[in-house]
Amino acid sequence: MTAFGFLKGVGVFLLLLALHFLIRPLIGTRISIDFLIIAVLLAAVHVRPGVAAIIGFAAGLIADSLTPLSFGAGALAMSAVGSGASWLKAAVFGDNVLAQTVFFGAGKIAFDIIYLVVEGRLGISGLPMQLLVWTPLSALATGLAGVLVVFTFRISMESRP
Amino acid sequence: MARATRSGTRVDTVVLAACLFASLIARVLPSETRQAFAGPIRETFIGPLISLQVQAERARGAFISRDITAARLDSLVLRNAELREMELDNERLRALLGLGARLRSGFVAAEALHRPEYGDAHTVIVTAGARAGVVVRSAVVAPEGLIGYVVSVEDETSVALLWTHQDFGVSATSADGRVFGIIKPHQGDDVERFLLELRGVAFRDSLAAGTEIRSSGMGSVFPRGIPIGTVVGDITTPGSYSRTYLVRPMVMPADVSVVMVLLPSAVSVENAWRAPTTDSLRRAINSFGDSVTRAARRDSLQKALRDTLPPARRDTVPPARRDTIPDETTVRRP
Repeated sequence: MTAFGFLKGVGVFLLLLALHFLIRPLIGTRISIDFLIIAVLLAAVHVRPGVAAIIGFAAGLIADSLTPLSFGAGALAMSAVGSGASWLKAAVFGDNVLAQTVFFGAGKIAFDIIYLVVEGRLGISGLPMQLLVWTPLSALATGLAGVLVVFTFRISMESRP
Repeated sequence: MARATRSGTRVDTVVLAACLFASLIARVLPSETRQAFAGPIRETFIGPLISLQVQAERARGAFISRDITAARLDSLVLRNAELREMELDNERLRALLGLGARLRSGFVAAEALHRPEYGDAHTVIVTAGARAGVVVRSAVVAPEGLIGYVVSVEDETSVALLWTHQDFGVSATSADGRVFGIIKPHQGDDVERFLLELRGVAFRDSLAAGTEIRSSGMGSVFPRGIPIGTVVGDITTPGSYSRTYLVRPMVMPADVSVVMVLLPSAVSVENAWRAPTTDSLRRAINSFGDSVTRAARRDSLQKALRDTLPPARRDTVPPARRDTIPDETTVRRP
């Protein structure tokens, strides 16, 4: 990875972090685009699973700092998703739009499942509704947004060691 | 190579396990400790991001409340416009009340209904007709002055021709009674269409701008002394045998919704428009209010008397007490 590529990656990561706090409150619906997931997954493709886990852990802590009652749940889910994505990066088929959409969407679904289970805030009645309705819709939105980010910033999705 | 890869994988696994373990520890920490970790992160790393979020939420709130605010603003503007109309109506009614008090008798108050149809802007329907004593050629006035005269009468309504019609005419004089002429509508364009002309003024007479013009009482259609307008300027054409003055009318008919129709019995109305002072208007309104109060008090007194006093007797025989009259059901028949 070149220095320019590294800086570009850091810039995109920070931009997505800002968008996460800017766009989601602006839209304000339960179907939300998770820019933090997109940022972690984009980073995970280009780093080793251990580093991806650390990036996910940091991003999760940032998100958790706003919800102290579920502190740690986001870090755990994001670590697992980041590390898993880094291990599965071989399955991301380069510039295949559909595969990328599924990649981002699946990352969002995995994150939500782990987060909601670990957090344990939603009961038996609320959890299925969230996981069967809102999470898939949010995953779709996140997948499309992720592809848009990839094409906008011309980010290579080729796996690197 | 393979050994290095295995080693790297092991390191990744260890790091992942450490992250997951740290996360679980963070999850089960006491609330105060979690706050102690979350607080500094909130205050330092993502402080600017939180302010960004606050701005975004404010923007969303403003966006959502925009329609509500616009609706409220529209309602307020509409209500304000209605209040202004009510205020004007109130002023006009007060003035009419004052005029009525000064005229004392010989008039009937009515509403003027403007016809929205195009081409019929020179007449209004007046909600007083023959049953109220209105006859053809009765003068129609507003507190400010002359509006027109009645051209047709039905039982309940009548039609009044406004001064804007080309057939309208009234014998007029200056307020001091020195100069006479005939008032006709000015057939000008645009804004001047709503002005009047004082025609037929003798060349030896001249009128200064601002001179008030009133009805002269000649011709027996309009009583003497109804204000018509004020002189704007001389528009005499060269070669004519008399002077013509442009007159600004006292009343724009479109602004009038309540009028007074002067009945034939109203012979002298001159004093009614003699520069009424605010005090006289207030006295007139107060006296009207007092009379209403007196009437209400009288009614309440009568009601109270009816309730407290026994009913008036028709004859001198005292009514039999009910308990002394044998009930039919208790009377035994032989």
